[in-house]
Amino acid sequence: MPPNDQIAYPLPHPTDFTKPFWDACQDQHLVVFACAGCEHLFLPGGSVCPKCWSTDLSVREVSGFGEVFSFVIYRRTYHPAIPAPYVVALIELKEGPRLISTVIGCAPEKVSIGMAVQIQFEAEDGFMLPRFTPQDSAPTHKV
Amino acid sequence: MTRRAVIAGIGHTDFGRLPDRSAFDLEVEASKRAIEDAGLGRQDVDGLITDPGPAQGILDGITPHYLALGQYLGIDPAYTGSDILGGASSAAIIQRAVLAVEAGLCSVCLCVYGDSALSTPGSFGYGRGDDAAFGLFGAVGIHALAAQRHMHLWGTRPEQLAEVAIAARQHAARTPHAQKREPLTLAQYMAAEYVVEPLRRPDCCLMSDGAAAVVVTTADRAADLRQAPIEILGHGQANRLSTWSSPEHFDTLPAARCGPETFARAGMSPDDIDLAMLYDCFTIVVLMQLEDYGFCKKGEAGSFVEGGRIGPLGSLPVNTSGGLLAEGYGGGMLHVIEAVRQLRGTAGARQIDNAETALVSGHGLGMNTHSTLILGK
Repeated sequence: MPPNDQIAYPLPHPTDFTKPFWDACQDQHLVVFACAGCEHLFLPGGSVCPKCWSTDLSVREVSGFGEVFSFVIYRRTYHPAIPAPYVVALIELKEGPRLISTVIGCAPEKVSIGMAVQIQFEAEDGFMLPRFTPQDSAPTHKV
Repeated sequence: MTRRAVIAGIGHTDFGRLPDRSAFDLEVEASKRAIEDAGLGRQDVDGLITDPGPAQGILDGITPHYLALGQYLGIDPAYTGSDILGGASSAAIIQRAVLAVEAGLCSVCLCVYGDSALSTPGSFGYGRGDDAAFGLFGAVGIHALAAQRHMHLWGTRPEQLAEVAIAARQHAARTPHAQKREPLTLAQYMAAEYVVEPLRRPDCCLMSDGAAAVVVTTADRAADLRQAPIEILGHGQANRLSTWSSPEHFDTLPAARCGPETFARAGMSPDDIDLAMLYDCFTIVVLMQLEDYGFCKKGEAGSFVEGGRIGPLGSLPVNTSGGLLAEGYGGGMLHVIEAVRQLRGTAGARQIDNAETALVSGHGLGMNTHSTLILGK
């Protein structure tokens, strides 16, 4: 097996539905999808609002603040580009939508459910990923 | 007169590492065994529904699983298909067979699960779409998120997850064909390595090569057959495809809908169930189902399973052949087969006295799909 730095990172594959989200990430903006019909905010993207099926949708930038809804610590490496231990977390954004991400900037053992976190973009192979850090330790978010 | 569907035949292969045998080879053997068990022949089969298992799905991008298996079996069924509901598929295809038989679309429906997940590179360690970019691999990560929530909300302890794993091994010790029959102690459980914390190795199901099949036919037809028919007292399905965006996701399973609805249709309650075959890909899912089906109150499954309550001598034996945690990964079809054996009274050393009703569940994908059967004799 080649050394870790030669193995491609498992980057996202943007689709028509998710491209606006990932495009915004590349400019270090975190966005969700907003329904003009019922005001529902949601992730991931789609062609209709999953609450009311309205097609009147737009992309809205959010604060980047949220909290850990649940988290786990991978103790086994599944992909050589992401060596264990690391945290996978379900983040609930302040604005409501949830997304899978990770918590960095603290030891995995320091993460807890309800912990306040904020966005921190980091590049993998030149692709910006939205990760989260504990709110009190993070640098000020670029808005 | 209404047609009533029953289970008339069961069959399975060995389970474990069978490197010289393809999934189809195993599925053909299980199919023959189930048809023979029923006292029927190849010419009687007019329905075929399959659960392709985690490693198969659509084989070459064109050929669906039922087509390939039907070709190997040399049958031309009136009714066919494959269901891809992950671990909910096996109970779901029995349900579909019941509907097809009772609607008169077919009379002898063969339901088949098979896979060679141990010997063929499969999908057990797959990444989940874009979530793989954050390291979410395998079903274990999703279920560990649920376990962490359960511990946070209800104070569930590792020792209580251990009760599920230990009971599975106690049941498997009485099951000659089980893959993992050696006992598991609490000390061994606590010392086991984490796979994805808070889930340890013994919290995770086995991987297996193997196949299992069940024959569904009408009560009238079964009356003259080899085996006493097993009644289907209720069946149900509920799914939560909205995944993360559902506020309840991770805190309940779709079983919280499927369970009460199926009990209501059967005119039964959890108190009427003698044994439960609960899909057990991970220990946490057994705890969540005990709550969602109403065997105990929400949040109390951890204390419910203490003291061996779901073990061989407990008041609610769960997965009496060892389940996915110890018998082998049978997709959920081995759960159906074990329920049938217990109700027939042919479960040997592990026979539960006076077993008259059994609940069987299926649970799949990222906790998205769920299916339920209530069987009786």
